[in-house]
Amino acid sequence: MNRSIIGQLVLKDWRLNRVLISLTLAIGLVALLVTQFGGLARLIGIVWFFVALCILGSMLPGSVILNERKKQTLAFIMSLPVTSVQYSIAKMLSIWGLFLVPWLTLLISALVLIETRHVVPQGAVPMVLILAMLPLIGFCLISSTTLVGESEGWLVAASIVVNSSYWLGWFLLARIPSLSANWNRPAAVWNSTEIIVLCSELGAIAFIVAVTLFLQSRKRDFI
Amino acid sequence: MTDLAIQLSGVSKKYRYFTLDKIDLELPRGQIMGLIGANGAGKSTTIRILMGLVHQDSGEARVLGHRMPAEQVAAKWDIGFASEDMRLYDSMTLAWHMNFIRSIYSGWDAAHAQLLLKRFGLRADQTIKGLSHGQRVKSALLLVLARKPKLLVLDEPTTGLDPVARHEILRELTDVMADEGRSILFSSHNTQDVEQISDRITFIDRGRIIDSMDKEAYLDRWRRLRLEVPSGIDLPALPGIIGVQQRGRLAVATANAFVPDLANAYERTGARVQHIEHMTLEEIFVANVEHSREEVKA
Repeated sequence: MNRSIIGQLVLKDWRLNRVLISLTLAIGLVALLVTQFGGLARLIGIVWFFVALCILGSMLPGSVILNERKKQTLAFIMSLPVTSVQYSIAKMLSIWGLFLVPWLTLLISALVLIETRHVVPQGAVPMVLILAMLPLIGFCLISSTTLVGESEGWLVAASIVVNSSYWLGWFLLARIPSLSANWNRPAAVWNSTEIIVLCSELGAIAFIVAVTLFLQSRKRDFI
Repeated sequence: MTDLAIQLSGVSKKYRYFTLDKIDLELPRGQIMGLIGANGAGKSTTIRILMGLVHQDSGEARVLGHRMPAEQVAAKWDIGFASEDMRLYDSMTLAWHMNFIRSIYSGWDAAHAQLLLKRFGLRADQTIKGLSHGQRVKSALLLVLARKPKLLVLDEPTTGLDPVARHEILRELTDVMADEGRSILFSSHNTQDVEQISDRITFIDRGRIIDSMDKEAYLDRWRRLRLEVPSGIDLPALPGIIGVQQRGRLAVATANAFVPDLANAYERTGARVQHIEHMTLEEIFVANVEHSREEVKA
């Protein structure tokens, strides 16, 4: 019974945020199209693509989590037969779904473009996946901090820290020789370093989610 | 099945600047309880504990037989909650909200929802942001009433409403009680509303319950005695009299446990009882709070 309420809460968030997602998808797809023109446009398109994901990652937690408190709709939702942990699970599912739809769409589009239009060599595919995971980890950090912190201050602080750290993440990853060595190969080849980095990124996400649910379960006052 | 809709035993909750202090409260099934208190008295904290939204530090809270907050999911299937500071989604229509609630509660009564739409003068296709405050309160109440919960918990639902809207809402709440198994806990600082519909009355002040009993018995117990006191006569302290205000020869004694013998006792001292008056709930509330605060000081 409660699984269905969690589902209804997720659907509710999806309906309320459909405009934001559609807009991000449109902007992200335009960015990918821009990469088709080659030269400087390719670089602009790639940056635009990541910026779209980063902005969405910062805006969604505010729209999905904080608005419920700011606009005082939280009491309405919490009057339904759910606990604070079930509410948190619903929030994480909805916010993850909302982010994953454009993230996956844009990522798959990027991979298709690499495969069919050869905008960059196919050897760059592992690196594209590893780099694309960073906005996902960043989004995970921002949304979890917002959910636990329950305030705009925490959202802004997390957004600043995360968004200003991407360059460092990308810089450090690019400095790993066994990652950068494969970029210009004509075919995608996965080496052990790439697999370890990708698994570490997934582990970081799992850790953040587990800590978030643990902290939410310990809260004594929810409103 | 317990015959109590709400049972709080020794419930305490400590905040930095406020403490809810060992609250004991019982609401039998089928009754309406008015929870009256000034702003910051502890009404909302009590209600949040009842809804499982705030965990008490100590004591036991049971709602419809379920321990709170541990069994809040089971309890909330049968609780309808609305509060003055609760909002619906601005950008969505009332119809969307009705569908949302219907998708969760199998007991949603679509015919009753349509009836309430008509009675409250609401349009289902209107977005919430286009509604007045009164219409928003009615919309929230519609969403609660149309699923026919066994217990309604309403935190200041009539605050900020015009007299017509207040009357409509109170009439609906009275209609709810046509079903004898249903109960209402209704918090307000508007004593007029509470007096109109409640069976039981509970006063809360500074985090403590200062009185809780049947409304009729309560109103009957409290009286104001207007006395003429000849010079040279000192009025005695009588049991059941909580305060006497005297100006010259005229005195007003407030009784919280009135019995006819009180008037006789004053007459025996030489004072003349001019009038014995019933008090309004608001007058009782103010007198009770002041008396309670003096007791705490002493």
